[in-house]
Amino acid sequence: PPHFPQIPHPNPRNPSLAAADPSADLPAAAEMSRRYDSRTTIFSPEGRLYQVEYAMEAIGNAGSALGILAADGVVLVGEKKVTSKLLQSSRSAEKMYKIDSHLACAVAGIMSDANILINTARLHAQRYALSYQEPIPVEQLVQSLCDTKQGYTQFGGLRPFGVSFLFAGWDKNHGFQLYMSDPSGNYGGWKAAAVGANSQAAQSMLKQDYKDGMTREEAVALALKVLSKTMDSTSLTADKLELAEVFVQPGTGEVQYQVCSPDAMGKLLAKAGLTQPAPEA
Amino acid sequence: PQIFEYNGSAVVAMVGKNCFAIASDRRLGVQLQTVATDFQRVFKIHGKLYIGLSGLATDAQTLYQRLAFKHKLYQLREERDMKPETFASLVSALLYEKRFGPYFCQPIIAGLGEKDQPFICTMDCIGAKELAKDFVVSGTASESLYGACESMYKPDMEPEELFETISQALLSSVDRDCLSGWGGYVLIV
Repeated sequence: PPHFPQIPHPNPRNPSLAAADPSADLPAAAEMSRRYDSRTTIFSPEGRLYQVEYAMEAIGNAGSALGILAADGVVLVGEKKVTSKLLQSSRSAEKMYKIDSHLACAVAGIMSDANILINTARLHAQRYALSYQEPIPVEQLVQSLCDTKQGYTQFGGLRPFGVSFLFAGWDKNHGFQLYMSDPSGNYGGWKAAAVGANSQAAQSMLKQDYKDGMTREEAVALALKVLSKTMDSTSLTADKLELAEVFVQPGTGEVQYQVCSPDAMGKLLAKAGLTQPAPEA
Repeated sequence: PQIFEYNGSAVVAMVGKNCFAIASDRRLGVQLQTVATDFQRVFKIHGKLYIGLSGLATDAQTLYQRLAFKHKLYQLREERDMKPETFASLVSALLYEKRFGPYFCQPIIAGLGEKDQPFICTMDCIGAKELAKDFVVSGTASESLYGACESMYKPDMEPEELFETISQALLSSVDRDCLSGWGGYVLIV
């Protein structure tokens, strides 16, 4: 059985367990593993990183975000959790952020953590562009951000970032791409992915309905349909959602990131048959 | 060898009626040998802001790339384009950072500010700003350019006339300078 070094402070719950072999009997091990919570950068006896898992819990309570890869672009949809009338949003988006002209991301989790990471991502993208005089490939950016996140799970004694991202972008090597990353620093390329509240349900719905070679329009319709089923609120209105698309502008051939305006949003919802009918006068 | 005259350059900017013009020559030389006749010295920062960089070509390119970097981040964070006056301060600060090992460039900044008011300025290689209401010049042909602009310029010219004026001023000045020439590149906004 693996030997764990003695931790200087006794277990406040049960001092007699100080010298017990952690893998001896299961109930004791479960009790013992509470000790490992206080350290962010060490494993638990079952080989888990508790802080990372707690971070994912935090994200599970945040507003959801969906991403779908289409043949002609990538679609990102987010659920806005904070919709008070008093909120004067200084910036145009709460969940969608542009990282570079060809790259954007949707966020789920602790917003303040997300802001730091987005800034890091923007700097990294620009430094790459400065050195190589070409836009950063999507996977490179995702990898670098995930390396940063991973660092917080291994050294420094600082807690991990409580954010999951959905990255959407285009580069000339692999075309349109969608990536999902979580607090552990793991990432994967996806055809459709969901993060945040009810992401499991959303993910399974996407798995059923996703078809290869979808157009952006179809992807938007699918995203709205899935979100309407997984969101907690009773009705989908334009002010509760954010929609952004990464696509190639037909005229110039340039990659564009566009956030949907509230009016256009309302029309899309109506087209998908998802708005509540107007109340009778 | 004089470092500012190593590659040869001529850049000029003029203010017109609700518009501006910025122009440069196209020669890239290595002292007396011409190496390229399509060298770009005027760069776009955003739709209403351009910077022309005379002097050492490598510094002109590197300086532009670093400025593009900073402006990109500004755009992402502030969700708007930089005003020309702000940009000029940024360039000045960037140049002064290298006070004791400078970029061998003399920038010319031209843009449309608030309410599309034209703005031009120039600065020396360590960031001393010089605002002007009419025209600014820089490069190996600067002395000829001063003379040509002074005599040809008049205020509130329309874009078409401004184009004629700045082109004539540029071409006649570079003809008197062996290190700049081989055509011109003029941009009117």
